[in-house]
Amino acid sequence: MAWLECKSRRIHYETAGPDGGPTYVLVNGLTQYVRLWIPFRDALIARGFHVVSFDMLGQGQSDKPSLFIHQDDQVAVLGDLIAALGERPIFVSGISFGGVIGLRYAITHGDRIAGLVPMSSFAEIPSQLYRLGVAMRTGLTLGGTTYLQDLLFPMNFSSEWLEEKSYLIELATHRGWLINDVYALANLMESFLDFEPLTPQLPLIRTPTMILTGEFDFLTPRKLQDSLRAHIPNSAMVIIPRAYHAFTLEKPEYTAYLLARFADDVLTGRWHGKQTVWVGPEAIGGDLTPFPAGFDHLRAIPVRKEAPPAALGADALGQKATAS
Amino acid sequence: MSPFLGPLDRDGRVPARQQTRLSAFLMSAHGAQARQLAIALSGGLQHGWQVELHSQYCREVEILSLIMRATSWVPDPALMFLIWQWEVAWLPRPAEGAADASQGYLIDLAAFGHALHAVVRPAALLPEFAPHDNAFAQAMRRIEFESGRLLHPQILFLKGPELVPARAAVAAAVERRHAQVRELWNALLHGMEIEPSGRHNLPPAYQLTVKAAAEAAATAAAAAKASEPAKQR
Repeated sequence: MAWLECKSRRIHYETAGPDGGPTYVLVNGLTQYVRLWIPFRDALIARGFHVVSFDMLGQGQSDKPSLFIHQDDQVAVLGDLIAALGERPIFVSGISFGGVIGLRYAITHGDRIAGLVPMSSFAEIPSQLYRLGVAMRTGLTLGGTTYLQDLLFPMNFSSEWLEEKSYLIELATHRGWLINDVYALANLMESFLDFEPLTPQLPLIRTPTMILTGEFDFLTPRKLQDSLRAHIPNSAMVIIPRAYHAFTLEKPEYTAYLLARFADDVLTGRWHGKQTVWVGPEAIGGDLTPFPAGFDHLRAIPVRKEAPPAALGADALGQKATAS
Repeated sequence: MSPFLGPLDRDGRVPARQQTRLSAFLMSAHGAQARQLAIALSGGLQHGWQVELHSQYCREVEILSLIMRATSWVPDPALMFLIWQWEVAWLPRPAEGAADASQGYLIDLAAFGHALHAVVRPAALLPEFAPHDNAFAQAMRRIEFESGRLLHPQILFLKGPELVPARAAVAAAVERRHAQVRELWNALLHGMEIEPSGRHNLPPAYQLTVKAAAEAAATAAAAAKASEPAKQR
């Protein structure tokens, strides 16, 4: 267990895996804390990565500001943590809320990292997501953390996983309730009240970026991730088959496989995102498949595109060498 | 030190001396909050926001009644000093930088309420798998649940548009009350040999196999049962 001082706040972080080499810095989702990364972290370590995870302000064991938390402060924490790692290839990967913090960091300090992996993330809050956020905040205040978790479980995971893991749902809910404080969660949610879309600033991200999205994610639908792809020049979006919102928990080894491939491609100079769209392999070890040319990757049914963007139409056909 | 109260007796009850110490703290803090709300409402209800204050007052009275009736009280000489210390801490202190004294008192009242309902989590002290058919444990759960709800209007008030010009005063008042409540709460817990940060070291459930999850439940239940006979011996 280690601590970082940032603007007189105490931040809890953990490091694991072989030091000195490529490093992944993991940025938590809303109700997450460091220990929830362990299966995913271990899968990355098994692939030779050094991994840093931390509790954001308001989470886990880090300081919890009493009333106001600004996303800029979260970005500053991430920046200080990355600075403390020194010279080495650093990849930042954040999920959902953590993805937003990763994007914010990359917009202003993209030159300091080797790569970015936003997972189930977003740069805009359209009405649907805003209303969901409002409902979740109301749920939190009226029903407590447990109610919020009850709401999130079916959004985060597949029915198959929930059934298979049914023995631990009660304990997972209890542990989540134990670790999270209602006021800190409310503050984190309210840090989105004055959220300005990041979309106009996304073209400033020049770092290689792999955007991961779950095929069935209905909390942050594909359209939100596609907006990242369309605006970040050196990006590609990978659709993970049959995945929901929290695939780092449901498919830790699989997700680690994708992250390892991405880092390897970047470090060997093979990564050329070209704002392309891919379908993840069915199993670990498989190849990525370009999304079928001419079809609309934002639809759930096979609908041909009326007017495909030129870049996507050209790249989707001939990109195997760039992202595989 | 454990992150939880206990060990529980053979019927799954929190030891009476711990019940007494914890409940005395809660009575003092929630009692102070109720008194201050009553004073704020003494002129009757003229504004819409006072209806919310009245609701909070009623919740606090309910919490006090619940603590009083659900606790197994035993003599605790240390309370003579502790209660004095707590009561002095809860005294109103108008927030500096407010538009006027009245607003300063209201900010402090809401800041105190926010700190009390945010920092003090009595249910999180109950051992995992503590039985539900126990008045004290259920009372602690109820208090924590209601505290979460009471936070909401305090957040709305403290972050509301009418206090935007006094935002620095609000932030300072809330930080001060949080630090104060946290210090006294942690001192109380350490006095009962409880280390609240220990809860962060529990393994996440996602890591547990079926067998490990079942064992975790069985271990907690066995520990609760085994503790009382051992003490009696």
